[in-house]
Amino acid sequence: MGEVIVITSGKGGVGKTTTTANIGAGLSQLDKKVIVIDTDLGLRNLDVVMGLENQIVYNLVDVVEGTCRLRQALIRDKRYENLYLLPSAQTRDKTAISPGQMKKLTSELKEEFDYILLDCPAGIEQGFQNAIAGADKAIIVTTPEVSAIRDADRIIGLLESNQIKNLSLIVNRIRMDMVKKGDMMSIDDVTEILSIPLIGAIPDDEQVVIGTNQGEPVIGLDSMAGRVYLNICKRIIGTDVPFIDLSSSLGFFARLTAAFRKNQEARTC
Amino acid sequence: MLRSSSVSVAKNRLKTLVTSDRVCCAPCDYDKICRELYSSLSKYIELTEEAFKVDICRNYIRITFAGDET
Repeated sequence: MGEVIVITSGKGGVGKTTTTANIGAGLSQLDKKVIVIDTDLGLRNLDVVMGLENQIVYNLVDVVEGTCRLRQALIRDKRYENLYLLPSAQTRDKTAISPGQMKKLTSELKEEFDYILLDCPAGIEQGFQNAIAGADKAIIVTTPEVSAIRDADRIIGLLESNQIKNLSLIVNRIRMDMVKKGDMMSIDDVTEILSIPLIGAIPDDEQVVIGTNQGEPVIGLDSMAGRVYLNICKRIIGTDVPFIDLSSSLGFFARLTAAFRKNQEARTC
Repeated sequence: MLRSSSVSVAKNRLKTLVTSDRVCCAPCDYDKICRELYSSLSKYIELTEEAFKVDICRNYIRITFAGDET
């Protein structure tokens, strides 16, 4: 019996789609049968991030409306064993499907797949309601910014009141150099406010931008973000993996200043 | 050499925002909530204003009234 995980954030542009693509690829690398579903109706993106945009024939709305069979709409990612994409519809809007229909679809998919990942649209309207309808778990993606964390807090409240209690947090685009200078909230600052368990912190990594340009996931690549994503996938399947110390990528001088600053702060407070 | 960090500003702004989001009230209502809780609880428990603290979390409200947090 598979597990339905919704990847959500409230605020747009924090990295939900990139995260969905990479976790999907990562879980399939770990020998799981995975389907990723783009639930952002009218603003289809997951296919582009995954580099599968030229293979779309049918979409989520076609499946729900019965225009085609599920099999016909699924796109298999040839680079991975057992990774499938169900793309969104570009010319329809969020009212084209209902939470009930999504619930039915995900429960059918559970029979066949180990993991069903839902890329949730930004916002808290019907698109969000559709995406969370059949979810067993949620991964909340945020960046260390006031607006993103505020939205994440609101989303967590909504998920909890919708009886989705299994929540985990990804802090995305963290810059350790800025954290050390006291100009970016740290992973601890973010988890303290949101008070849900952390499943991974992804550094702001050029490789992610390059990967997105090429339509290729960074997972498994020899980059910091690739390694962190792989660890997140391992934690999803229940392996206990230690967290990578992101500051190890900083140079000697940056670490020295950080140590100095910490010392100063300890004395002032 | 070390200027005050922008993180502390961000954290304070964020705390005010999430507190008022969580109880759906204006930021100034938080003070009112604190005062009312203080006055009603002080009828039953010996309290000092300095030690009395109200934290509004997502699904519970924590009231601290002893000197150190436990």
